[in-house]
Amino acid sequence: MHTAAIDPPGITWLRVSPKYVTVRLVEWALGNLIAIALLSLPLLFVLFGWWTWPPRWLAVAVPAFMLVLALWRLVLIPRQVRAIGYAERDDDLLIRGGIFFQRVMVVPYGRMQYVDISVGPVERRLGLCTLKLHTASASTNAFIPGLPAEEGARLREQLSARGEARLAGL
Amino acid sequence: MTAGGPAAPGEKYDGEWLRVHPASPFVRGWVALAAIGYFFGRDTFERMLQGQPLMDGQIAGRTPFLLAGGAVVLALAVLGFILSWYFTRYQVAEGYVRVNTGFLFKQQRQARLDRVQAIDIVQPLLARIFGLAELKFEVADAGESAVRLAYLRMEDARQLRATILARASGVELDPGRPEAAAPEAPEQQVLQVPPSRLIGSLLLSEQSVFVLLGAVASVVLSAVTENKGFFLYLIPAALGLIAAYWSSFHKGYNFTVAISPDGIRLRYGLLDTQAQTLPPGRIQALRVVQPPLWRIFGWYRMQVNVAGYGAAGNNGEGGSRTTLLPVGHLGDVLNMLALVLPDPGTADPQRVFQCGLDGLDSDGGFVTTPRRARLLAPLGWRRNGFAATDTALLMRSGRWWRQLVVVPHQRTQSMALHQGPLARRFRLADLVLHTTAGPVTPRVIQADAGTALALFDAQAARARAARKRQTSEHWLAQVSPPVEPAPPVSPVEPVETGEPGPQLEHQSSTPTQQEGPQRG
Repeated sequence: MHTAAIDPPGITWLRVSPKYVTVRLVEWALGNLIAIALLSLPLLFVLFGWWTWPPRWLAVAVPAFMLVLALWRLVLIPRQVRAIGYAERDDDLLIRGGIFFQRVMVVPYGRMQYVDISVGPVERRLGLCTLKLHTASASTNAFIPGLPAEEGARLREQLSARGEARLAGL
Repeated sequence: MTAGGPAAPGEKYDGEWLRVHPASPFVRGWVALAAIGYFFGRDTFERMLQGQPLMDGQIAGRTPFLLAGGAVVLALAVLGFILSWYFTRYQVAEGYVRVNTGFLFKQQRQARLDRVQAIDIVQPLLARIFGLAELKFEVADAGESAVRLAYLRMEDARQLRATILARASGVELDPGRPEAAAPEAPEQQVLQVPPSRLIGSLLLSEQSVFVLLGAVASVVLSAVTENKGFFLYLIPAALGLIAAYWSSFHKGYNFTVAISPDGIRLRYGLLDTQAQTLPPGRIQALRVVQPPLWRIFGWYRMQVNVAGYGAAGNNGEGGSRTTLLPVGHLGDVLNMLALVLPDPGTADPQRVFQCGLDGLDSDGGFVTTPRRARLLAPLGWRRNGFAATDTALLMRSGRWWRQLVVVPHQRTQSMALHQGPLARRFRLADLVLHTTAGPVTPRVIQADAGTALALFDAQAARARAARKRQTSEHWLAQVSPPVEPAPPVSPVEPVETGEPGPQLEHQSSTPTQQEGPQRG
């Protein structure tokens, strides 16, 4: 999965930190477990006999379906994280991501308006950060998550310096 | 014209702080004044109409209070207006335009002149009656206008626009005589949309298809169910449609395009008139669309992305401001393309653009979706395609709703290749070009994966090369000025727009004139 059909040839991708899996796991747990817990409430009520309406099979099926979906996403997380990559070329930055829906993006240094780094609570504990590139286009959704803090700082300085050297107007 | 103005027009814009026209808050706030008047005057007026005495016994005792209340509210409103006028000042100096507003919460805005993306002069109906105009100055920020000056005298507004555009284009000012440096750039009308064609285009537009469908559905339903009330449900929809038709008509009325050295001028409006100026090279992306019914008359619509205008539909004005041509024939479209893209970067631009507009398969040098993907796009696979000239990437799509998107290479922001599981099975990929917010979203649909990858690389290289050529924000200082100071449009008299003859001549003559020095 590391080299896919739409990757430009001859690129050695830099990968993000494997610790980023943990960040994604926490996000996954927060999102999916709460959803499943909420969806399981009707089952509880039915079991205790407080509610009569949802038939037992439906009350089981809905959270079970969500659970399967969540587990499927859980299994994918490590591979998704391994699929994220970036490469600095002479004039632009390449970012790739995704397994099923793959995306390879090129952001010319001269087009970057600014670069920002954000650190969430889990990322801070693991010493990671997320780097986001902004161009004049709102649809440039270019971010590299899960960078080690010093690599993020290096990349930011590098990108800013190169952007300044090649800055073009709109 | 500037009889009441504070200074002679020459030294007006040279660093001095100026105020907008004193009447402007009243023109802007007339709704509020009218509401106050209505609120306090309604009873009296009604009684007058009914022929009753102006004061009856019941109200006579309260009249002084009512009058006093009304007077106080009115005085407060007028005082607010006067204060807001007094504290609104603007200045054009040292490459910046600055505007100060507010007396409680002060705000100072400044915008760099060489970052101007577009400049508009707007005249709402009331302002038009008083000969006033609002000036809007856009920089690359998808949202509200960077600088709005409401209202100036029409003459002053045009003078200021000329000054700003002259400084933005990098014209060297003669320091001794600043007034000599900002004459209004001469302009030449290129085309005009006659009202009859505008009405026709509205009748045949996409909305009309829904009108017809709704009418047919209601007739069928009332026939089937013996219920005569179905048309009642259509009344709100009909009201909405009438409003939509009206606004399209109103915005498209008397649409004229003129070319001047400082950009393309668009003028339109029935009650409120608007004059937009798009400086050369400020158009980020462009599309030409043809709804199915317009094919009967061969009409097209053109829309653009301009960095300052933001997304269409963001606010009501977005939709009309991003329209480059509400409806026009093929000749008009080619003419406009020649204005926007003076150097099309191909030997036979007319053929390439025409194939982009209504071509199929590989004519005109387009690369289409491979045949193996015809299951995915049974209608579109022969049409979806792209072609790259030396200066722009052309993307066409849509068998019924024909569309051609043009993105100049030096305007490409970033790019992304997308491939989903289904596309991977068919060895396809989509290439998305990112541009500023607006109605145009350039995307090469379902290209062969290898081709898309090659295009991805080639396009990155082309954009890089194009950016290197573009050295300055001052468009006069650029290596290849996008618009010649004396445009080759000049032989075209104010034209009858349905007649493509002279424009096409211009079409084919432009590239040869411009490519000469570059090749040499």
